[in-house]
Parts: sequence; C-alpha cells; structure tokens
Amino acid sequence: MSMTRRQALTSASAAVLASGIAKPAIAQKSPIQIGYLPALTGPSSSTGVGINRGVQMAVEEINKAGGIDGRQIELISRDTQSDPTKAVNGAAELTRGHKVSVVFGPVNSGEAIPVVPLLAKANIPQLHPCWVDQLADAKKYPLCFRNGPTNQQIGGAANRYVVDVLKKKKVAIVSDTTGYGTASVNAYVPMLKQIGADVVYQAHVDAANPDLKPEILRMQAAGAEAIMPWSVNAGFLSRIINTRGQLAWDVPICGQTTLGSGQTKALLEKPEYWAKVYPNNFRPVCYGPDGKLPERTRAFVDKLRAAKIDMSDTLLWWIAVGYDTPYLIADAIKNSGPEAEKIVAHWNTLKDYPGIYGEYSFTPDEHNGYPDRQVVMVEANSLKDGAFNLAPGYGGA
Amino acid sequence: MLQSIVLSGLAIGSVYALIGVAYNVMYSASRVFSFTAGTLGMIGGILGSLFILRMGLPIWLGFVLALAGGALFGVVTEILAVRPVLKSLDQHLYVLSTLALALMTQQFAAIEWSTEPQPFPRIFDLPRGGFDQTFWLPMLACVVTIVGLELLYRHTLVGHAFLAIAEDNYAARALGLPERNLRIASFAIAGAIGALAGFAGGQLLLAFFANAPLLTFYGFVPVALGGMGNNRGAVAAGLILGLFQQAANFLVGGIFASVAVFAAFIFVLLAFPDGLAGPSTQRRV
Repeated sequence: MSMTRRQALTSASAAVLASGIAKPAIAQKSPIQIGYLPALTGPSSSTGVGINRGVQMAVEEINKAGGIDGRQIELISRDTQSDPTKAVNGAAELTRGHKVSVVFGPVNSGEAIPVVPLLAKANIPQLHPCWVDQLADAKKYPLCFRNGPTNQQIGGAANRYVVDVLKKKKVAIVSDTTGYGTASVNAYVPMLKQIGADVVYQAHVDAANPDLKPEILRMQAAGAEAIMPWSVNAGFLSRIINTRGQLAWDVPICGQTTLGSGQTKALLEKPEYWAKVYPNNFRPVCYGPDGKLPERTRAFVDKLRAAKIDMSDTLLWWIAVGYDTPYLIADAIKNSGPEAEKIVAHWNTLKDYPGIYGEYSFTPDEHNGYPDRQVVMVEANSLKDGAFNLAPGYGGA
Repeated sequence: MLQSIVLSGLAIGSVYALIGVAYNVMYSASRVFSFTAGTLGMIGGILGSLFILRMGLPIWLGFVLALAGGALFGVVTEILAVRPVLKSLDQHLYVLSTLALALMTQQFAAIEWSTEPQPFPRIFDLPRGGFDQTFWLPMLACVVTIVGLELLYRHTLVGHAFLAIAEDNYAARALGLPERNLRIASFAIAGAIGALAGFAGGQLLLAFFANAPLLTFYGFVPVALGGMGNNRGAVAAGLILGLFQQAANFLVGGIFASVAVFAAFIFVLLAFPDGLAGPSTQRRV
C-alpha cells in the first residue's frame, strides 16, 4: 500500500502527539521519590527509631489513599548510623543517584550540620527537625526548612518556666563539657538575665565525674532556687537528680528533654527523686491539666494503637514529628507540584499547618516553623505511653 | 565537706589504685604497658550489670563471672596484643597493639551494650547512709587485693616464680620456669583485678562503656606517680590522686578540677621522674 506525503505527515504528527500525550500519563503514574536520612542504628538512634515509626505510618496511609494525585510516594531511605560521614554519603547518593524531589532529615543535629550545605548546593528542598540554631537560615539555605524547635526556643521555654511560672529568680545553670552543653549554657545565661533572673551559679562540669556533691553544694551555698542542667548525658543528669535527693534539697530541676528519658529514670537511686524534675516537651503531645491529650493527638494515638505501633519504649513527639513530615511534603506537592521551586514557594506561605506535633508556619524570611507557644515543660515522672503531663502552672491548650 | 572529700576520694582513689595494680601486674610479667587496664574496669562494671541486673543471676555468681570475664580478657590481651610484639619491645609496638585492642573492645561494648550509662546493682541489701557501700566496697576490694597479692608473692611457690620472671625472665627461663604460662597467668590475674575495680566501683561509675578511657588514664597516673611495677606505690598514689581530685572538685569545681589534677600530675613527674616511690627495682650496671 502506497502512502501519500500528506498521509505520512499526518501519521507522523499523530504519532508524535500520541507519544507526547502518553509521556505525562506515564510520569503521573511514576512514584514521587522522597529522600529520607534517619539514624536507625548507632549511638543516637533512639530518636530516629521513634521518628521512623511515624514516617512509615504516614507514607503507608498516603499511598493507601491513592498517593499524591495518583502517584505513590517512594521513600528512598539511607540509614545515617548516627554518623555524620554516613549522613553525607547518604545525602550525596540521594541527590545524584535518585533525583529525589525533597529530603527529610537527618534527624540529629550532628549529622545535619554537614548535610544542610550539601543539599543546599544540590538545590534539593530539605525538611528536618534538628535543634541547632544555625541549621535553618532562610538567607543562607533558602531551600531548607525546620519543622522542630530551635535551641533558643528550647532554652527560652525552660527559662520562662523557671522565672515566670515557678517565680524562681536565683538560678544555677550547669552543663557537661560537650559542645552542645557549653553552647547551651553560654546562650541561655544572657537570656535568663534578660527576663530578670539572677544567675547565681554557672559551670561546665566533667560528665565523667562520679560525685557531683561539690557542685550541688556550691549551688546551694550560692542561694540557687532552681537548677537548670543542659546535657544529653543521662548519667550526668541522674547524678544531679540523685545528689539533690540525697541532700534533701527541695529545688526544681528544669532543662533538657533527657531529664525525662527512661535512661535517666533507670539510673535514679529512688523513684521519688524524679519529682520536681521538669524537662522540655511540646504541648500538642502532652496530657493537659484534665489528664487528657488534645483531641487531634488522641485520635492519632488511637490510630497508633490500632496499627500496633509501640509507644512505651519511645517518645510520642518523635513519632508525631515523623508522622507530620510526609504529610507536609505531600501537601506541598499536591498543591504546588513536585518541582523544587514550587515546593519551596508553597512552604514559604504555609500558615498554621495543623500537624500532630505542632502547627507549622514558614515565611520567605523565617524557615523555623515550630511555634514558641507549643514548647513547654512537663513533669518527668508522669511518662505514660511516650507522653508527659504538662508541668504545674500551665493552663489548658 | 571533709567527710565527703575523704569518702569519695578514697573510694574513687581505690578504683584508680586497683587499675594501677592491674597495669603493674601485666608490666611485671611482660615489661609491656598494656593500655587495656582501663578496659578491664569497664568490663567488670558492664559484666556485673549484665549478669546480675539483666540476666537476674545471683550476686555472688554475677561477681564470679564478671571476674572470670576480666581474667579471660586478660589472657586474650596477652595472646593477641602482647605476645606478637614481645620480640620488639624496644620499638614500643605494644602501645599500638594494646590500644587497638582496648579501642575495639570499647566500641564493641558501645554497640552491643549501650552508649548510655546503665545502672549497677546494689551488692548488699543495706540502707543507704553516709558511709555507704558505694564508698567502702572499692576500698575493701583494694585492701583485699593488696593483701592477696602480698600473700601470693611472698608465701607461695608460684608467687616466687612470678617475682623471678619479673626480676629477670631470661634467668628464670634458664632455671626452667615456664615463662609463657606464668605470663598468661599474670595477665589473667591482672584481668581479674581490673574487673574487680570496675565491679567494686560499679555503683560509683555505673556500667558505662566510656569508663574505659577514663580508667585507662586515671589508672595510669598512680603507676606513673608510684613507680612502674611498684604496687605499694600505685596504691598510695591512687588514693592520693582520688583525695586530691575530690578536694579540687570541692575547692575549684567544674572543669578546673580536672585541670588541677593534670597540673599536679605534671608537676610531680617533673620533680620526681621515677615516681614518688622511685623505681621498683634497681638495675645493675
């Protein structure tokens, strides 16, 4: 059969058109790749393991509900093993090997410090919950967003609780000799003074020192009315709590979340020593004065129970921040598209996004998305199913 | 304040002294400074907590097994890190081999045990008080070890053989003494002593992988101050170190306490290069 020139051209055009139409159809069905850099093993993996439970649950829910406009989420996960070097390797692989739309993580500050500039250079939008202040800077890293509090917010909440709620003006503030500990004390002392506190004792202490009695006695002699320790070392924190108990010194201890961890609890000489210990936490995942979680969180916990996700060996806020993140990403892609600039533009206008862990807001100039008002203090000895009672003095939500 | 300085100082000083003795026992048998001495203390604490708290074994059995674990590690140290480098002692390769084994063991403990300090059991069911078992157990362990070693070295044939090896191992071998077996036995004894330090001081230091480098350093100070191979000097220097450290904690506090200890250590070594008690043996020239 012969074919005229017009017929050939028409057929060719039709074929081109058909292929042109078919291509987006295939693209729409292809999964959206999300890079994920949790620390699932290694010394700092307890946070990552908790967060991972929420992430996996949310991705499963989104995919079961049809994905994002018909496209499934494919989580490309690389375990950082709590090691900054492995985190960098994982991030490089995600950006070069997989062309992911967005990266969630790392989930520990130590790993995020080298990864944030790397992802910024690769022009990949990034969302992370790490606390170190410098890890979200809208000018320096315009594609990087934080859906957790900053160290300033953490310290600020503890300071306000001690000075404004407990009405304690004479404060002893101590840390271990790690970078985190010393930086925290150096940052929080001026903040305390600014709100009218008198820092009567300040020290960096060797966390390996088995006897902290001299430190506690010096705090007592200085007239301290509250102790604020900044460390993630459960041994150091438990020694402070134990020594306060041995001396029967009835002052509150307020500070880092590790004060309320199971590891700290395990090292206490007597369970009653955990009274009047107030670590940081987050209002949406705390039991209120009525003993109940906020309604949205209660429904979430019911879902976790139905899915048989263990909460007893972790913290609810870890699971919650993990759960919120895939939804934040899906919301941006659904409403704006999977391209980097569209995701960033969407987040730059996000206002009070209702997550379980908190209500997130970003602007083009502010990529720290966690609200001050939701950083609170809790009663360490009230831990139940990964959540705590709000510390005395906080009103309802 | 004075009571607290004395109690805490003597308790932690006893732990340092025992680690110093472990250094010395290994050194006497091999002329090798094995930097696994602090690791032995870590092993004693971790195994004690593992056997008694996690596995629920009776305290006496947990104690025996922890010491046996330390002794076994001592033997492994001799076989893996000491024996291969004995022929080239002058090149000080043992520094690398024993440090490598210590670091590997510490990392293994961090991965398999925990990176967080874990609780150590109360050994005796006694009410807590001023002169608590937390303080007197390490002191008791130190006294028992020193008396035991004195009895072993001075009143038994095996002890005399240990001393002969320590004095001159070529001559001892020429007399037909089984030098290798005696060296292995010395490392096993040192292992048990190191583990005893970690076990007796467990309530003070907890079951923590990071105790290994801490004890490796603070256990070395009594050896350097007391004279290498000199057990009595190590015990005296260990107790003085503990008391000085605790006094510095009270008087200057914070990180300055550690600085004070290091400064005193350097000053004493400058003034007495052979240690406060001098060398343990006179060399014939």
